[in-house]
Amino acid sequence: MANGIGELTVEGVNHSYGTGKIKVPVLHQISLHINKGEFIALCGTSGSGKSTLLNLLAGLTRPDEGSVWLNGEEISRFNENQLCLFRRKCIGFIFQSYNLLPNLTALENVELPLIFAGEGVRKRRERAKAILHQVGLGERLDHKPNELSGGQQQRVSIARALVNQPQIVLADEPTGNLDSATEKEILALMRQMNREIGTTFVVVTHDQEVAHQADRVIYLQDGWIKRIENARTANEVQLT
Amino acid sequence: MRGLDSFRIVWRNLWRMKLRTILTSVGVMIGTAAIVAMISLSLGLKENAVKSLESWGNLTQMEIAPAFRSPDGTFIPDEEQRKLDKEAVQILKQIPEITQVMPTKRLHADSKLKIGRREGYVELIGVEPRESAASKKADLEKGTFLSGAKNEIVVSYDVLQQLVDVEKERREARKRNAQRNTRAAEMMPPEMGEGGGELKLDVVGKAAVIVLTRQYTVDDEPKFEKREIRVRVVGQEHKLDNPRYGPVAYVPLDMITELNEWVNQGMEEELQESGSSVRKTRTRANADKNNTIYDEITVKAASREVVETVVKKVQENGFEVYSPARELEQINQFFFVIQMILGGIAAVSLLVASIGIVNTMIMSILERTREIGIMKVIGATVYNIRWLFLIESGFIGLIGGVTGLGLAYGAVALINTLAKNSGAMEQFGFRGGPGPEEQLAQIAVVPIWLALFAIGFAFVIGLLAGIFPAFRASRLSALQAIRSD
Repeated sequence: MANGIGELTVEGVNHSYGTGKIKVPVLHQISLHINKGEFIALCGTSGSGKSTLLNLLAGLTRPDEGSVWLNGEEISRFNENQLCLFRRKCIGFIFQSYNLLPNLTALENVELPLIFAGEGVRKRRERAKAILHQVGLGERLDHKPNELSGGQQQRVSIARALVNQPQIVLADEPTGNLDSATEKEILALMRQMNREIGTTFVVVTHDQEVAHQADRVIYLQDGWIKRIENARTANEVQLT
Repeated sequence: MRGLDSFRIVWRNLWRMKLRTILTSVGVMIGTAAIVAMISLSLGLKENAVKSLESWGNLTQMEIAPAFRSPDGTFIPDEEQRKLDKEAVQILKQIPEITQVMPTKRLHADSKLKIGRREGYVELIGVEPRESAASKKADLEKGTFLSGAKNEIVVSYDVLQQLVDVEKERREARKRNAQRNTRAAEMMPPEMGEGGGELKLDVVGKAAVIVLTRQYTVDDEPKFEKREIRVRVVGQEHKLDNPRYGPVAYVPLDMITELNEWVNQGMEEELQESGSSVRKTRTRANADKNNTIYDEITVKAASREVVETVVKKVQENGFEVYSPARELEQINQFFFVIQMILGGIAAVSLLVASIGIVNTMIMSILERTREIGIMKVIGATVYNIRWLFLIESGFIGLIGGVTGLGLAYGAVALINTLAKNSGAMEQFGFRGGPGPEEQLAQIAVVPIWLALFAIGFAFVIGLLAGIFPAFRASRLSALQAIRSD
């Protein structure tokens, strides 16, 4: 199965949790294709398997059956280290609980992926600053996470996900911990990045607001894809 | 990831848990300090032992004697033994590691040295001025060594003590006898003879007389004949701790040959008169004339390192070698064992410390599980994580090593001060060498290699202790790590 840069393909994935005798199936026969630059919402009730699907896409879990293709590579066959390198290069990850390192400043948190990538000090600092400006935190570079609000922390986390210029950003309930006003801001920011940079976004959510913003919404129920909806035509128009 | 960045991250993490870092590295510090102190103590003791051996005799200097036992252990009969003759000198000279061959011959009779009003018995040793000048020069305190001119002598330090003003002694003895009645005089300790007047005596450049006595019997009556040779003292050796040589006067070899002949003649005459085995003595005397048989041959090796080679080569040529260096071998072995034992004891404490490091690292992995997960998700590889934790535990070792070395320097300084003040050096039998530069003031020394070794060792211990935790950290599943709290 071939796909290109920024594209995601999942083919016949079955996955279950637990080892040994007791296995809890979470995903059944998942197959889908996501195009470059799409903004996808993964929706479903809790326990529907949406987070597991996202983890499969990020290479954090390996499917029991089936294959996962990202950027034209079958990541479900990668070993641990190859996955790490692949994530570093191609994937940005945004968590519900931000997951910033508490002892690093906003700037340092954003720099971290570049540090692992072996980028030089001056270049990485420049890039981290630029992207923090882009997410509206240009004045908060030297603040530690505990000195920032939830929304600001999530902005830092978005900046961190984007600083490596990945082709795909995966977000796991990025607005789940935020009040509705902030949620809108963050959502808008992600959408803006999606449009400006052309990064593919896959956002797990059970929030209708997010679903409304997406190009396509994939509904999961009990581990099955229930339906895939094309969202507002306005988005589709903008995509083409 | 760049090296500098990883160091920065590691430093940050260590700084974040200062107290734990300090406590863990204190273990390493104590271990390192113990190792360094122990080894430096044994090194110092060894150095002192070697130095006192050196002051006892030059370690590159060896005495050659004919071998009386062949390599397979059988005895060699007298006639087949090598002679210490000119041929032997030539053989020894051909060994490249030997820089000097110094044949000597002793006078086989009593001799007295008179300088001014002082006199005393000395041993006359004949040397080849050309051969011995270079090595003997080092022993000189005053004056020069024999130049090859006739009737020059060089005296050893002990000669100065040996020389006594006989007349004055007699006078004083008489005085003491006269004063014996007075109680006060009895209480007084007997006055030191002026001969013991240490260095005050300066004999260099002075004229002296060597007095020889030969004895023979004529008609069952012992007869004595004296001979006096006028000489000039051209040099004096400094104090040597070598008990092999007492009061010695070095004279040109020719002089000894001649004097020995004179002494032997007396015996020959005596023998002639008693009418027994004249011929044998004569032939021996004649042989002596043609081919000088030396009493001793001293050789000097190019350096202390080649002493072993020299010993081997000389033995191959059928000679036996006596050298303080062979004792050095034993000293080395002895102190190697001491070092191993002391170092081993100290190493146990370092082992305990390393277990402490393992413990600390495992604890901090538990604490930072989530962090490790985040790092893995945002692009840290398995190797990055492993490297970070290895370096972190290596750093704990390094901190312990550096501080431990400081502690060891302190301990060594303390030991040295205590030893100096309590006079322990003398108790151990260590005395200052001949020169001020060889003064033994330190009972423990920390050579630079030991310091570097200690730091390196502590670092390596830290790294080793970090291997298991680092692998554990890198094996954490990113997903589970992120979910943990």
